[in-house]
Amino acid sequence: MSATIKSSELPRRGNHGSGPIVWAVIIATTCLLLLVFQKLLWLVVPFLLALILYYFLYPPVRVLIYRGMSRDAAASLVTLGFLALLFVVVVALTPWVTGQMANWQDTVSRYVQGGLQLLDNSLRNIEAHWPTLARAHLADTVAARLVQGAGSISDHLEPVAIGIMAWTPSLLLAPFLAFFFLRDGRRFTRFLSAAVPNAFFEKTLYLLHEIDRTSRAYFQGLISLTVLDTLTLAAGLWLLGIPGALALGLICAVLAWVPYVGSILGGLLVVLVAATDFPDAPGMAYWAIALFGLVRLLDDFVYMPLTIGKNLELHPLVTVLMIFVGGAVAGVAGLMLVLPVLGVVMVIGETIGLIVTDPRLMARHRHALALRREYASRDL
Amino acid sequence: MTNFFRTSKIPLRLERLRRLSLFVNLTPAELQIVDGLLHERDYLKDEVIFDEGEEGQAIYIIASGEVLISRQGQGVAGRAVQPVVDEARLPRRRQGDFGRVAQLGPGTFFGELALLDDSPRSAQARAANSCHLIVFFRDDFVGLLDTHARIASKISRQLACHLGTRMRNMALSVGAYHHLL
Repeated sequence: MSATIKSSELPRRGNHGSGPIVWAVIIATTCLLLLVFQKLLWLVVPFLLALILYYFLYPPVRVLIYRGMSRDAAASLVTLGFLALLFVVVVALTPWVTGQMANWQDTVSRYVQGGLQLLDNSLRNIEAHWPTLARAHLADTVAARLVQGAGSISDHLEPVAIGIMAWTPSLLLAPFLAFFFLRDGRRFTRFLSAAVPNAFFEKTLYLLHEIDRTSRAYFQGLISLTVLDTLTLAAGLWLLGIPGALALGLICAVLAWVPYVGSILGGLLVVLVAATDFPDAPGMAYWAIALFGLVRLLDDFVYMPLTIGKNLELHPLVTVLMIFVGGAVAGVAGLMLVLPVLGVVMVIGETIGLIVTDPRLMARHRHALALRREYASRDL
Repeated sequence: MTNFFRTSKIPLRLERLRRLSLFVNLTPAELQIVDGLLHERDYLKDEVIFDEGEEGQAIYIIASGEVLISRQGQGVAGRAVQPVVDEARLPRRRQGDFGRVAQLGPGTFFGELALLDDSPRSAQARAANSCHLIVFFRDDFVGLLDTHARIASKISRQLACHLGTRMRNMALSVGAYHHLL
């Protein structure tokens, strides 16, 4: 039956984009997944770290396989090598970190005091220009509340320590998961594709490769974004004359992996450094705030669409809007996860959309099912 | 180090792969890499493997069974397949068969143009009888070109030989001998 149909009579396949219904389903699925992932952060975070580790360790595994080693042995050797290196680094750094702890506490206190001093000076300047605020004792009220609410550094150490202890077991999952990704990644692909009917096989293979490409593109985009952020912020801080510009830029760029919240922390850090190191020049802190705001705008509206959004082949407008949607749906976790989740859901959604709207593929699948039924009952 | 990790005997599965014309020049270590990229599919008699005009994503290698290649533009595609005789391993073209281009047997491959570009399939492939196929996906081949150029060049050479033979046969069948000079 199907063989008598000429190709010119068939609807054109694979040359139409996703329609609004498919895109609505993609966005709805992304939001739903973000809500679920928000509840499963103990698993999602180590899974993401494992993926980053997988893309980092995959090249040496590939080299060993080419040298004639089996995939199992290569994955084991590279993972063990990485863990050994990590262990050596931790052991080597522990005495230094322990020795610096006391200094760090002093340094943190100094920078916090510098920040509070800047805030106090700024409020008193405002009061000098606005008698209404002076009568309300704005500066004194804010200072009293900060002292009351902030407490001492040791008050904050306890929840941080408990948080680290609570997250450590789940973070230890990351290298374990990465090892199995390295060892069984191909088997998993073959396992998935083996479950797919013959009619959809090529499309599904393409889909799996696209998911791999999308994940790789996201993490490569994230690295590019970090480099761009670091260089821009470091150049600006260097021009302002703030010490440790490159280190500050790098810390802020890594903090920016958590959209908005990370940016606020990074901005606070830059302002504290500027206010403490230049106590007699409050203008420096304001310049640092302006610089940081400019870099954030560049990051959200230029760098991110150009790196992550471009690698995911997402329209810049969709990228920006989905960041806002992710934050509204699932908070900080949503901000972090929205782009990689959207990238993967987009590929799956578009492929399923192409398959179910392709009458020829569906007809071939029905034909194959009929043949299999006939084959199964041939001697009954 | 290289030899230390190499096994002296080739596993049966890899030996079976090496008997396929596309991989005949690969060493055991290279075969092991390629083996990790291959997929296997089973088709029943008359099941369509791919359609003419469809975007090709993979090359198919026949491990067992036979596959009929037919073009819809040449008439009714051959569903009533003629029994295969001793030339089953060679592609054949019969002017009298409606739509039939060739019937391929074990060890041969088809859909190879999909490895080279993303042009539409030029013919339909249908299982002439129950068959077991090995599938090599284009993106995996492109990945090999980037990461294991030596393996990819060996496969490409076999592919070029195959395409050259096919061109020669076509030229002979239409009498265009000047292309062969």
